[in-house]
Amino acid sequence: MNTYVCRFCRQPSDPSAPTCPLCGAPVDIRDSVSDSGWTKQPPIRDMAKLQFGQSHVQIAGTMVPIAEFNLAQQEMVYFSHHVLLWADPATRMQNMSMRGGWKRMMAGMPLIMLEAHGPGHIALSDNHAGEVIALPLQHGQSIWVKEHRFLTATGNIRYDWTSNDVWYVTGDDNDQETHYPMGQFGDVFTATDRPGLLLLHAPGNVFIRDLQQGQSLLIQPSSLVYRDNSVRVHLHLEYPRSQGFAFWRSFDYRNVFIRVTGPGRIAVQSIFERPEEMEMIRNHSYATRHRW
Amino acid sequence: MTELRFSGSTCQVEGELVPVAEIALAPQDGVYFEHHVLLWKDESVPLSSLKTSGPRRSLGGMPHIVSVANGPGRIAFSRDAAGELVVLPLHPGMELDVREHAFLLASHSIQYSFVRIKGLANALHGGNGMWMDRFVTSQQPGLLILHGNGNVLQRTLGAGEKILVEPGAFLYKDSSVTLQTQQIQLKTGMLGHHNMYLAEMTGPGRVGIQSMYVHHHSGE
Repeated sequence: MNTYVCRFCRQPSDPSAPTCPLCGAPVDIRDSVSDSGWTKQPPIRDMAKLQFGQSHVQIAGTMVPIAEFNLAQQEMVYFSHHVLLWADPATRMQNMSMRGGWKRMMAGMPLIMLEAHGPGHIALSDNHAGEVIALPLQHGQSIWVKEHRFLTATGNIRYDWTSNDVWYVTGDDNDQETHYPMGQFGDVFTATDRPGLLLLHAPGNVFIRDLQQGQSLLIQPSSLVYRDNSVRVHLHLEYPRSQGFAFWRSFDYRNVFIRVTGPGRIAVQSIFERPEEMEMIRNHSYATRHRW
Repeated sequence: MTELRFSGSTCQVEGELVPVAEIALAPQDGVYFEHHVLLWKDESVPLSSLKTSGPRRSLGGMPHIVSVANGPGRIAFSRDAAGELVVLPLHPGMELDVREHAFLLASHSIQYSFVRIKGLANALHGGNGMWMDRFVTSQQPGLLILHGNGNVLQRTLGAGEKILVEPGAFLYKDSSVTLQTQQIQLKTGMLGHHNMYLAEMTGPGRVGIQSMYVHHHSGE
């Protein structure tokens, strides 16, 4: 009987293997949780093999990892053409059906996506120093992912998009600009029919944390990589005690965060976009505020 | 995971590509930082600003606001490039000069100022910009954490000992180390003369360099 549940992908796993066969996390890693509850997502070990269906994928490299697929007959993955590294001539590649193209565009993916059908080999990689994150999804399980973090997914994983509803407006009447600090839309991936595998790529290192019911935390909006659908997110504006900057009329000394509230799992990456310039915020989505 | 202590607070550093410094601030402690390096924080951690001569800093290309976070509570920081965190515990009476935009955070007991790089040649060809951050401890020790791009190496120079450094690679130095720009003329026959500029560091003191940098263009 298998009693081991991988602490990273949360799926029942094989305790006798050196790495979790579903997500590649080391099985024997010591519990490395910071005092505040963050766990560093361990990089998938070089040449770790992940199984899905009759196929498998091997993760090679540690700086900019490569996902090398060995696809079985009748199995396929889909991806954006710019992550394709190499492919066997035997691997059949074709563009995805244009059905669902609107969703793809709204989800921040290219309109034209590629499918690779087995049997054959194909390798994919992003182009930033960072980590590949494997998220095995059980039948019916779904997860929210920040746009542009998607690397590839097995054919049975359906994608959809959702509006993040985190925005604010700066500028005057004639020249207003709407900012979406965590992207305008997010990707939602759901496994249909059977379990599937979703691979993401995040620049820098990745840290995960479990939030309890009602527990909340303030994080940089662009650092969020993925979250359980049960985690709620909204804008949070903080105005530090300023010392003499108020005389600048157009200057707004503030920090833009998102407040994430449990229950559920969140993952952040250590590289994130610099916050926008501190122009006065004229309007914004639902937000909590705090003035120190 | 590496754990450090300063005053009543602790700092944990985790990550190999872009490390994160997570601080558990004690009630009487604080840290200051450029606001865009803040990764996450507890809601209870108050933020304020450090008084600096803002417009002058802005003209020098440095952030004109330096934020302050006070305890108790937890807060975490990271920069936006692959590299290493350099942890520099400063004893009382130390002065350290740091390349602009390289400091991640400093504890409240460290005084912060900035110095203009003297000499037109140094400012124009030194590759460090016009300003350097200066961190000074008086009576209390403190903790300074820098972010170096790539790997970071340190060398201790004896009195009068010199080293030539690619200006983009300079990361930090003791204030006792002087910096001068050296022009090296390269003769390339029919193609004329080319000048290369290097930063000449003269001891005594420590010099820190980073292995990943934007190469400083050589002029003709």
